[in-house]
Amino acid sequence: MNDDYIVKLGNVRKTFGDFMVFDDVSFGIKRRETVSICGDSGSGKTTLVNVIGLLEQPTHGRIFWNGKSVINQKMSYVAKLRSEMFGYIFQRCNLILELNVIENLLFPRRIADKIDSGDVAFAKKLLNQVKLDGFEERNVSTLSGGERQRVAAIRAMMNNPRVIIADEPTGSLDEKSANLVMDMIINLCDTYDSSLLLITHNPRFAQKMQTAYVLSNCTLTRVE
Amino acid sequence: MKWYVYLALKQLFPTGKRISFFAAMSIVGVALGVVVLFVVQSVMEGFQYNIKKMIVDTQGDVRVDSKHMIFDVDKLEDFLRNFPGVAAVARYAYGMMMLKYDDRTGFPTIKGVDIENEAKVIDLRKFIKQGNLENFNCGGIVLNDEMARSVGATVGSSVEVFSPKIVEETSSGEIILQRTFDVSAIYETGYQNVAMIAIDTLQDLYGLGEGVHGFSLRLVPGVMPEKVAFELNKDLPKEIVAMSWQEMNKGLMFALQTEKAMMSLVLMFVLLIAAFSIAGSLLASVIRKTREIGLFSALGGTVWQCAMCFVLQGAIIGIIGSFIGIIVGMVTLKFRNIIMVGFLRLCGVEDFMMKFYSFANMPSRYGKGDVLTLVAFAVFLCCLAGVLPALKVAKINPAEALRNE
Repeated sequence: MNDDYIVKLGNVRKTFGDFMVFDDVSFGIKRRETVSICGDSGSGKTTLVNVIGLLEQPTHGRIFWNGKSVINQKMSYVAKLRSEMFGYIFQRCNLILELNVIENLLFPRRIADKIDSGDVAFAKKLLNQVKLDGFEERNVSTLSGGERQRVAAIRAMMNNPRVIIADEPTGSLDEKSANLVMDMIINLCDTYDSSLLLITHNPRFAQKMQTAYVLSNCTLTRVE
Repeated sequence: MKWYVYLALKQLFPTGKRISFFAAMSIVGVALGVVVLFVVQSVMEGFQYNIKKMIVDTQGDVRVDSKHMIFDVDKLEDFLRNFPGVAAVARYAYGMMMLKYDDRTGFPTIKGVDIENEAKVIDLRKFIKQGNLENFNCGGIVLNDEMARSVGATVGSSVEVFSPKIVEETSSGEIILQRTFDVSAIYETGYQNVAMIAIDTLQDLYGLGEGVHGFSLRLVPGVMPEKVAFELNKDLPKEIVAMSWQEMNKGLMFALQTEKAMMSLVLMFVLLIAAFSIAGSLLASVIRKTREIGLFSALGGTVWQCAMCFVLQGAIIGIIGSFIGIIVGMVTLKFRNIIMVGFLRLCGVEDFMMKFYSFANMPSRYGKGDVLTLVAFAVFLCCLAGVLPALKVAKINPAEALRNE
């Protein structure tokens, strides 16, 4: 196994009962690499993302994070490692309505049990980078869709993860906001040395990635 | 602070709001349950305490009784007086007699007492409402207020007493007149229908000679009556038995305890209803926040930590609700008499209640133990209310939760 890969999947298969979602998927994500996976709705892109993060167990195959197999590990160990490895951005931002913007940003640090005095400054710096200065105390329910997605994007950066997994992050935004959010995600990954795995319908965004895959007919194919 | 504790607090007390609607309603529900339970238990305990105190005050701590008459009175009295833990001893004899005043009659138990020693065992002056004991040994009788009311006697009235011995001797041909007593005092204990006369007069009326029925004992403060009774029974002759006030009144004590327990059991349903409403609201919250639960897993939390968040919400509601409930309960108890009088006045039954239930002062009594038990029970129920939604959370597959729309 090549240790250059932060995440590596080998011959992974996922079925739900008799239904095959994908089979023999082998691919990896290197440090600072940007990867896209395209596919039709229902092709299994989100399931693949869940399997990569071990939110869902594969039916067959091997998964390595930082060169270590994570299959059959204790869930508490996997959960801890997940918080260090991955930062998630979802189509629906999934911000916690009971918390304000800064509290939402600090929440991944709380889950990782690593919150310290420098985190607030870091969160403010990230807010500045996505042009949301002064939004710290804002209630998230008062933010627009684009603003929420930008907050969700920088929340994913808070634990300085190795890989940002963005599952259709611009799916619910208009084109202008989508472009803005997409550029910000790419810039953030570039600034903080994170790899990016982008799940998208949008071929234009997919083309911005260094490596592109298509998931179709249960098979993941690299697009040259 | 662990993230699930932080989140549990934030879900109840969100940033920008003081409290969530769910938290407010749940806390009020628990607090009301605790108030009702606390107030009723305290009032019941107050009644119980008053009754116990009344029993001890009127009967003494320990009684030494015999199935037959005791004739070796002085020797036994000395023995009891010198027994460790005993502060005072008073002999007594009693019997039922007919009491007549004008054309009204009553049938009290008449207790013959040595008034000087009796006063050391029982603080008679505390119960006397009218009159005094000055002329007690000169043909005086002390009546219970109920008996005085029923025959219409007051202090200074001359009442006639007929003993069974008089009736017996009259039927054998002798004509013996009834005894006349002047009412020296009227006392009120609330539950005893006992009149008191000098012991030598009663012995004469009943033909007891020098015999007595038993002795009342007052113990040194802090000495356990059960223990003294137990020790006495080791040394007393078989036919003479020492009994603590608890043992003598165990039927009444059991009834009072049972009444309190049953009342508490019924009122616990108020708390159960509050707990069910919390469980329902938390279950609805689990369904509403399914995606959030998926997010917590994606961010590195485990499902059990997510589940803990809901148990903690129940616990926090329980703790705050109980705390508020106890405070409100204490305030209610402090102003209980004003509240009660106001309520009775509103219902137009103030005089009725005062007359028949002597409710001028509603008793109340609670200790740290009562408060802690109630709080622990309420918190336990609320935690249980959080367990049901937590179990549902534990079954959630994070990936499915994230797909949930």
